[in-house]
Amino acid sequence: MTKSFKILLSVSFSAFLFCSPVFSKTVITWWAEGSAVRDPDVIDIIENRFNAEHSDIELDIVFKEEVTETTRTALLSGTGPDIFESPGPSYIKMLQDAGFVQSLDKYDKQYGWKDKLLPWAYNSGMFDGEFYAFPKNYESMIYFYNKTLFEENGWSLPTNLTEYEALAEAIQAKGMYPFAYGAQGWQPTHEHLAGNYINTVAGPDNMYKALIGEKKWTDPEFVASLKLLKKHMDAGYWSGSLENYYALGWDDFNGQFANRDSAMMMIGSWGFNPTVSGFADKTDEWDWAPLPMLTPEGGTPNYQLAIGSTISINAASENADTAAYILDWVISNREQVLELTGRFNFGAWLLPLKYQEADFGDVDPRIKRFLMDFAKTTGEGNYGYTTWSFFAADPGVHIWKDMEVVWANDITVEEFLEDHQKLWDKARKKNNTLPIGDR
Amino acid sequence: MAVAKFKRNAGIVNHIILMTLALTIILPLSVLFFNSIKPQSEFAANPLGFPSKIRFMNYYDAWVIGGYARIFLNSSILVVGTLIINLTLSGMAAFSLAVLNPRGRITVVLGIYLLVGISIPAQMFIIPLFILWKNLHLTNTYLGLIIIYSALNAPFAVFLIRSYMIQLPSELFDAAKIDGANTFQLFYKIAVPLSWPVFLTTGLVVGLAVWNEFLFALTFIQTEAYKPISTILFAFQSRFENDYSLVSAASIMMAAPIAILFMLFQRKFIAGLTGGGLKG
Amino acid sequence: MKFLFSSKLIAWYFIMPVFAIHLLVVALPSLSSLALSLTDWNGFGKINYIGFENFTELFDDRVFKKAVKHNLIWTAFFLTVPIAVAMLGAYLLTGIKRFQLFYRLVFFFPYILASIVNALVWKYLFHPIHGLGAWMNERGIDFLASSPFTTKGTSLYAVAFVDAWHFWGFLVVIYITGMYQVDNSLYEAADIEGATKWQKFRFITLPMIRPIFIFSLMIIIIWSIPAFDYVYILTQGGPAYSSEVIANHLYSKAFDRFEVGYASAIGVMMFVYVFFVVGFFGLLRKIGWEI
Repeated sequence: MTKSFKILLSVSFSAFLFCSPVFSKTVITWWAEGSAVRDPDVIDIIENRFNAEHSDIELDIVFKEEVTETTRTALLSGTGPDIFESPGPSYIKMLQDAGFVQSLDKYDKQYGWKDKLLPWAYNSGMFDGEFYAFPKNYESMIYFYNKTLFEENGWSLPTNLTEYEALAEAIQAKGMYPFAYGAQGWQPTHEHLAGNYINTVAGPDNMYKALIGEKKWTDPEFVASLKLLKKHMDAGYWSGSLENYYALGWDDFNGQFANRDSAMMMIGSWGFNPTVSGFADKTDEWDWAPLPMLTPEGGTPNYQLAIGSTISINAASENADTAAYILDWVISNREQVLELTGRFNFGAWLLPLKYQEADFGDVDPRIKRFLMDFAKTTGEGNYGYTTWSFFAADPGVHIWKDMEVVWANDITVEEFLEDHQKLWDKARKKNNTLPIGDR
Repeated sequence: MAVAKFKRNAGIVNHIILMTLALTIILPLSVLFFNSIKPQSEFAANPLGFPSKIRFMNYYDAWVIGGYARIFLNSSILVVGTLIINLTLSGMAAFSLAVLNPRGRITVVLGIYLLVGISIPAQMFIIPLFILWKNLHLTNTYLGLIIIYSALNAPFAVFLIRSYMIQLPSELFDAAKIDGANTFQLFYKIAVPLSWPVFLTTGLVVGLAVWNEFLFALTFIQTEAYKPISTILFAFQSRFENDYSLVSAASIMMAAPIAILFMLFQRKFIAGLTGGGLKG
Repeated sequence: MKFLFSSKLIAWYFIMPVFAIHLLVVALPSLSSLALSLTDWNGFGKINYIGFENFTELFDDRVFKKAVKHNLIWTAFFLTVPIAVAMLGAYLLTGIKRFQLFYRLVFFFPYILASIVNALVWKYLFHPIHGLGAWMNERGIDFLASSPFTTKGTSLYAVAFVDAWHFWGFLVVIYITGMYQVDNSLYEAADIEGATKWQKFRFITLPMIRPIFIFSLMIIIIWSIPAFDYVYILTQGGPAYSSEVIANHLYSKAFDRFEVGYASAIGVMMFVYVFFVVGFFGLLRKIGWEI
């Protein structure tokens, strides 16, 4: 018995030795948000193709549940992947403060990332003058509408507050919900609505001033914005009631929009994907429009700037050079990026590269219109700010978490904004704010 | 059969009440079961009822996508490992508290410590624990997680086993001591065999807790190949996807092994309680 | 050498191993958490000592006070409803001859399921579009039209209901264990004297299972403090903190707002609460109650 055991041992040991060439490859791990079920294209296009081209490097993209916390715990103890993601600029700033993020300054200069990325997106990753975080996805807030339904009822897109409210009333009179939306499964959804109303009522200029501290959040424009939001929420603009809005999730509200239970859907550009598939087998046509300014006079709509997630390199990574090379490989191949984001209908993995119109070859003309209009309008300086890309961490959470308390009538909008301003003051004192850029 | 010993009016009222209670459990769970064999497309039209088209493939899909075989093995390793360590150590401690040192002050102090131990929320010590584990090279290992689970379940196990052992007649132990048995023999020759029902119950409860646990598993296991079964449900749920048919099938697969074990051991468990050694 | 094996020390040897691992896994990290409650640590940066600032902030924390209130309501709920139902179920169960196995299995089943599975079942059933509410609505009963989880007034009770649904089977098993140890001759004697079911329960069963009953009370009071899973999965404490409990307030402070120091202070308060509860039961023991 012992003899055969010894043989077994030596055989396995030799087998191990034979397999060891595998271990001489540099393995780079990348913890990504999402799931293998939902995002096989990521593995397909990034991991498989990269590994096919490079025999000495192995890229391993791992999808993690609760990726934010798992990553944080790992970073905290000095482990973690080589490449990691975060849900947005406020998260990565905190990690950078603590020294967990590798400075990409030298790679930036080496690979010339400054020229490959859109300027405002590039700036969002600059802390203390050095580049730390790749924006993984840029997006903006718009709204979708059921074009066929609008034509049948003779409705037109609103250009100011009066038309907006009149339209909502008309839709409700027909027994439908004005907007489909819900927060189930992602409580931060509230910040989409809050941000939208602040941008379209108070306006981007005022918002900018509040972000840099020239104005206070307790000023009348912001009070008016959130009061209007509350008024509309109470009137059931989103899926009919506050309770319904809380209870409905992604599938539910996308289903509502596709099934004529609601006439419009107020969501970000990541809504292209489910809308395209939702309407694929329907006779109704969909379209989208930029958010109207919700003041009586109306005004020129703008697009809010948003970074969906960021990609960075672990400061404790032993293969930072290789990791940086991989990131450069990903973003340098514009066609490939477009192919990947195309699989998501440009709702995800839309890296903010300097695209040309020709790049968007074979895409749905409505989506193309968005991409081009976004680039043009924001290029002209007509842009707003989303909360998750520009708010410091604490107020960034407060804006959505405590919004429920306002909607529950437990505190007033004024009190809420007072608390909000206090958090901003605290963040400024601790130097925890995000780069806002110039206007 | 134990039940025949009791002579009480087994009226129809009893059954009505019990059946009502049972229905509050059976009905919601049947919806779960129906959903697990319902094709995803039918959900909109028929959310609560029995499916018109039965699709057992949901289970296959869930098995494949969730990598069920590997995950099942991982969880089993964790459960068995935890039971071995936890039951042994807790049994010893319970024996000591119940038989060796019934009224000492130490008992009170330790009792208080254990009680406090039950109510410390995991979130409070998980980060310092992770750092400690990392320094001990126990993160991402079965052993590391097994030790954690054994410790987490120790207070409950000690208490339960002790409250059982305390009712063992002391004459048995006195008699054995006179016969020359040492403490260790008192433990494994008398206390343990007589307490096997509570060991079984404790084993089931602790095993269950380990099987269903996900917070610590999520945090301490990084490698895909080591992940336990509680993470399977996350494979199908994210912010953007809620495939109820797969989730339901996965839930049933997750509960099935435990349910079978419980059904198997339930008879022995009750028989042991009312049977040998416990004449009042 | 003899000394090492003296009975006092042997008792210690038996206790030590389990305590050693528990100390290592729970006590040590918790103590460092305690120390953290005096800092403003954010989980990964520098650790700055700030004294009792976290605690003074806690006393002004509107949400924390709400959470404490909710925990008390939670405890009160669990001490009444599940116990009553479980007692009823267990008592009736020991009185019937057939289908014992069936009922036992059914009652205990939800406890076997992971919290996420139970939560899923009820979240699905309470959903306004595809749940029971919509089904009943079509037939004219509209009290469940809105999901109880997302309605301010009922969210806490809805979550407690789901946790209770999961938990009461566990109590049934515990009570049955105790009830089976009751000597049958006592019941027979009572039968001869013509006692009713309720009298038998009150004068025989209840006193005889007192240790187990007290144990269940203690377990419920203590386990209701870190109650977290169902709140987190079903409502995350919402809407508007109407179902917030201490444990998930702690969690959100630590993981959402990166205020580990503050969260540790909340943990300390939980400690304090538990000490009082434990002290109370310790007093009972001093009086002579057998636990």
